[in-house]
Amino acid sequence: MDKRKEIFPHGIPGHNLGEIEREIPNDEPPAWPINDKLKVVGKRIRRNDALAKVTGSAKYTSDIQLPGMLYAKMLRANVPHAKILSIDTSKAERHPGVRAVHVFTSDDEGSKYQDVKYAGQPLAGVAADSLDIAKEAVALIEVEYETMPFVIDTEEAMKEGAPLVYEEPIGEQTDGGDVGVTHDGSEGKGNLRGPTTSSFLGGARGDLDQGFSEADVILDRTYRTQVHTHVPLETHGVVIDWKPDQMTVYASTQSTKGVRDGLASYFDLPKNKVRVICEFMGGGFGAKHSAGTFGPMAAELSRKSGRPVWLMLDRKEEHIAEGNRPNSIHHLKIGAKKDGTLTAIQQKSHGTAGVALGAGVGRIAQGLYTCPNFSTEQYDVLTHAGPGAAWRAPGNVQGAYGLEQAIDEIADMLKTDPLVLREKIDPSEVRKVLRQRGAKSFGWKYRPPGSDTGRIKKGIGVAQSTWPRFVNLDSTVEVKMYSDGTVEVRSGVQDIGTGTKTILAQVVAEELGLKAEDITVRIGDTIFPDAPGSGGSIVTGAITPPARNAAYLVKQKLFNQVAPQLETEPSMLTVSDGMIMHKEDASKKISMRDALRRMRTGQIEASASRSDDYGGFQQPWGLAYGDLGSVQFAEVSVDTETGFVKVERITAAHSCGRPLNISQIESQVNGGVIQGVSYALYESRVMDNKTGHMMNANVDQYRMPYAKEIPDIDIVLVEEYSARSSTDAYGIGEPANIATAAAVANAVYNAIGVRLYEIPMTPASILKALNKVEQ
Amino acid sequence: MNRFKWYEAKSVEDALEQVNSTVSNEVASRTGNAAVFKAGGTDLLDLMKEGLVEPKTIVHIGNIPGMREITADLDESVRIGANVTLAEIEEHAYIRDRYLALHQAVASAATPQLRNMATIGGNLAQRTRCWYFRSIDHKCLRKGGDTCFARRGENENHAIMNNGTCVSVHASSVSTALMAFDAEVIITDGKGEEKRVPMEEFFVSPGEDATTENILRANEIITGVYLPPVKDSRKSYYIKQGPRKSYDWSIADVAVVMEMQGSKCTEARVVLGAAAPTPLRSRPAERTLTGKQVSASVAVEAATAAMERARPLSQNAYKIPLFEAIIREAIMEIV
Amino acid sequence: MEENEKKKAKTSLSRRGFLKGAGLTTAGTVMVNSGLLAFDGKFGPPKGESYGPDAVRVSMKVNGIIRDIICEPRTTLASALRDHMGLTGTKVVCDRGSCSACTVYLDGKPVNSCMTMAMDVGDQEVTTIEGISKNGELHPVQEAFIEHDASQCGYCTPGMIMSCVHLVENKKNPTLEDVKHATRGNLCRCGTYPHVFKATLDAAKKMK
Repeated sequence: MDKRKEIFPHGIPGHNLGEIEREIPNDEPPAWPINDKLKVVGKRIRRNDALAKVTGSAKYTSDIQLPGMLYAKMLRANVPHAKILSIDTSKAERHPGVRAVHVFTSDDEGSKYQDVKYAGQPLAGVAADSLDIAKEAVALIEVEYETMPFVIDTEEAMKEGAPLVYEEPIGEQTDGGDVGVTHDGSEGKGNLRGPTTSSFLGGARGDLDQGFSEADVILDRTYRTQVHTHVPLETHGVVIDWKPDQMTVYASTQSTKGVRDGLASYFDLPKNKVRVICEFMGGGFGAKHSAGTFGPMAAELSRKSGRPVWLMLDRKEEHIAEGNRPNSIHHLKIGAKKDGTLTAIQQKSHGTAGVALGAGVGRIAQGLYTCPNFSTEQYDVLTHAGPGAAWRAPGNVQGAYGLEQAIDEIADMLKTDPLVLREKIDPSEVRKVLRQRGAKSFGWKYRPPGSDTGRIKKGIGVAQSTWPRFVNLDSTVEVKMYSDGTVEVRSGVQDIGTGTKTILAQVVAEELGLKAEDITVRIGDTIFPDAPGSGGSIVTGAITPPARNAAYLVKQKLFNQVAPQLETEPSMLTVSDGMIMHKEDASKKISMRDALRRMRTGQIEASASRSDDYGGFQQPWGLAYGDLGSVQFAEVSVDTETGFVKVERITAAHSCGRPLNISQIESQVNGGVIQGVSYALYESRVMDNKTGHMMNANVDQYRMPYAKEIPDIDIVLVEEYSARSSTDAYGIGEPANIATAAAVANAVYNAIGVRLYEIPMTPASILKALNKVEQ
Repeated sequence: MNRFKWYEAKSVEDALEQVNSTVSNEVASRTGNAAVFKAGGTDLLDLMKEGLVEPKTIVHIGNIPGMREITADLDESVRIGANVTLAEIEEHAYIRDRYLALHQAVASAATPQLRNMATIGGNLAQRTRCWYFRSIDHKCLRKGGDTCFARRGENENHAIMNNGTCVSVHASSVSTALMAFDAEVIITDGKGEEKRVPMEEFFVSPGEDATTENILRANEIITGVYLPPVKDSRKSYYIKQGPRKSYDWSIADVAVVMEMQGSKCTEARVVLGAAAPTPLRSRPAERTLTGKQVSASVAVEAATAAMERARPLSQNAYKIPLFEAIIREAIMEIV
Repeated sequence: MEENEKKKAKTSLSRRGFLKGAGLTTAGTVMVNSGLLAFDGKFGPPKGESYGPDAVRVSMKVNGIIRDIICEPRTTLASALRDHMGLTGTKVVCDRGSCSACTVYLDGKPVNSCMTMAMDVGDQEVTTIEGISKNGELHPVQEAFIEHDASQCGYCTPGMIMSCVHLVENKKNPTLEDVKHATRGNLCRCGTYPHVFKATLDAAKKMK
């Protein structure tokens, strides 16, 4: 590929903005200036699907109604651990209105059915004329269990002699764990798997003993987080219409590609015979990357009945079987010198993702601060509970909850402002700016813990996070211009609610000199070019450069046709406000619309992917250099008589490279912060250890924040240009959620002078910490 | 939900001829032949969707004339028809002026949407929110089983008093306030005869019968609530602590009603919600307040007295300081 | 007491039954509010009617249009709207009245359609999210939701808008606390609340 050199903006405006020369592929466009000088990108642009959302006309998977469609329901195990002796579906099959029944079987020798390993495991399914009939039929299926001992509690499961979840090593990897921090589940003993001791940042480094011997203070603590569930408002589910020539799948998914590939592989179908559509989806937060078990079930029922089958889970099923963020028992031993320099970090963690793997605490302790000596051991503990799934910055939210409190504690031991300590140990340039601007906006003025007087005590806290710039190179976008002047952008990518559909319009509009509303964006369909799943904050960095690149190529094609008419060279043309103009001679111009009308073909189109990072990847698979940093400040008030904590306000200072759509970024930061507040104060999966059932698998007792729990959220967004792609933009979904719980925990400590070491912080735990409870 | 026949009742007598079971009886006995009442339906539908009760017939009483009125008598007592919604009580100026604690309790119950649906009759008759009771997978004492799963299980939200049998707490926080005003439940039987039952007698402790939470029988229906007249000297306050402010089930709530002569309390009612399987009058607290000049220290004494008989379970001892705090606060809000 | 009398008049029922037996063409009987408690010995208590469990014809006025559907009495209003009338703007999230995603109005009052039966509706007029914009013009709250980016995944949006429209239509100059109070039953898992608050306050201002 031929390359050329271009000058790019580089650095942080108002801090160290400069320029850098990069060599870029010839078929990618020249550098954009900083956002100030752009017209569409970096602005508050209305979501291009907002009208459909506010009028109720947006069709989500749950809203799909096809002619002849059946409704399906799955039967789930109501015991946590058992061998299945028999499943008798005869009564269900005879039930009026039932059109198909399917039972999951096992490929293992010696048993017809898979063993039950958690209460809620799907066993069979029914498709019927109505959902009510399907539910009735499911209740008629008779299952004979041979129940077995089970274990729910993480620490009980770690003990010798605890009932085993798997007798054998397991090789499978789930998506619950952090990207690049994995083990394959075959190592370990009993219910313990692992440990994970390295990540893409490397493994252990330095010499721990040496590090601790150099320390003036050593902190040795255990931090605990709970299991909590995603609760996307639209549950997992699909509508599948399996016709002989094609399986059409409407899926509530954050990866159309993942669902297509999953179903193609499960049924041994060619990829071009499976079409997955997801125009709107009602939230996922990491849990909706695959076809799950409901996908194959709906497909089997569709095949058996010859009819389209609607299979959306109910709220209880969603809670118990479709993902959760694993808990953590996170041990940190950290040494520091008097001046704050960290000398050693030793990390060990245990957590349970139920029957799945992926309960680590991420890379945050490994990578956030400068520390020469480091080691980590992260263990998975298997329990008889529903499988974990990725959730906004998997592992790292648990990790930050521990690490960022530990740093706070070290600041306390050194009698220093925790913000000042971070200034000393944090090597990140962007976080330096985030700290400065965030502290100013928040009005940070450190006060010693527990110094507020009176019944209601206020406190402030700060916490930081880092998230890598992941890029998925398997991202292609197609741009079409029609002869009537309209533009269409096509990609298989889905919009999980982050606004992907709108930023695609923005980058294409910017490149073509049009307005965002001039661009029609068609996404969420695997007949369009492949795009990554919405996870890891990958999408923006992966998909917007191809969109701009494709628009650039289309524009070049148009210039090639227009140039002779304007008696000039294509390279002398430019676009602005719907006009194609000569760069130097203002008299030579033609409206885009007129130019398109005179084209030889009815449309011109181009598709493009993106090149590697202009500055080179840190890891060849797509790990870019740089940091999606965040520094969050919290103010809380604690009622020391009732134990109630209220988060009064949060200042969230963030960077995500070149911001594309300010209001959408703010929306995501608000969401990340609110989910973090919820994690810190409210929500928790409550399991009954004696029966193995989740007790709050609903919305009224699974506590999430509503309007009156929402703090004032002040967002400080820092632009950071690093000249790494044609848009230089990255996502912000994960970074927004990582630091909040730790910031809130630090603020609660600052308010009452007692640290809780465990979330959620409830009236029960606050009153206990304040020594007001005699048990 | 299961299939059922819908009976659109036109009168109380008509409705009573149709029903053959209380919801509670059917939850425990699962005959599959029950005909039960539905007004707003916010609790019944919940139970049905969980599969805890599958009535054969639903007798809809929501359109029976005359049951959705708030009326005041010449003696200034108030009668709230059973089908009056919580929203209608909340918006009622006379109730807000005279029965502040009741207004506060109603205003803090549920969501705006639910309050437009939920009726006062249904609120009194609703079943506990104990998650073991609400779970199809746990046949607990209240469902005719022989185990209280919460006692040795997850009991953070549960009872700290009178918890010798079932440890659930009653779900109606409105009842906490009603009991503090000496309200009475108006019950009509199949013969059309009306009786007024004091709130304390309306609720049944699980020690007597764990499968029901009130005295209602299959041939009876709540037709209203009677509120005795109150003088201007009768002051009240209600505080509910749910885990969240937006809306939530109570983990501790208290209604205090005091007859005040200046700063002296001549008569007191202190009622605790979410403390016991029924709303609970705290006579020790009432005794402490009666005849005293009410001060911060008397409030502390009353709060301590209210918790004397508390016997917390493994996870809910925090409720003691929490109750003490809100009892003190409610008393001090009055004086 | 005057207030009380007004209230009494307001809460009294006068409602025409909209329920019809399947295949019957006559309208249901008119329910007259006697103003008395039900037992009136002179005439004897009126008798009701039963419907189902098989499907019956249910009529209701939805967004100004009378709709007839055939459904079993066990059909919720949410299901009647979504599955029988194709009005899928109303969302079912918790299915227990805990999240308010399914909010519709009955005679202008917000209720949970997942906890209301189709049979409950009677002659009360149903308004859904599809009926909030009039003659193709968005309601100011809908405009403001677009302007302030008050939806992310959008699944809570219909219910949220129903709560916010009801507020601004019934209260002049609402405060932030008023907006929080009106939306306190609406769950948004994406955490879009701050933008919902801004949008609603802005819409209220523009409605002056």
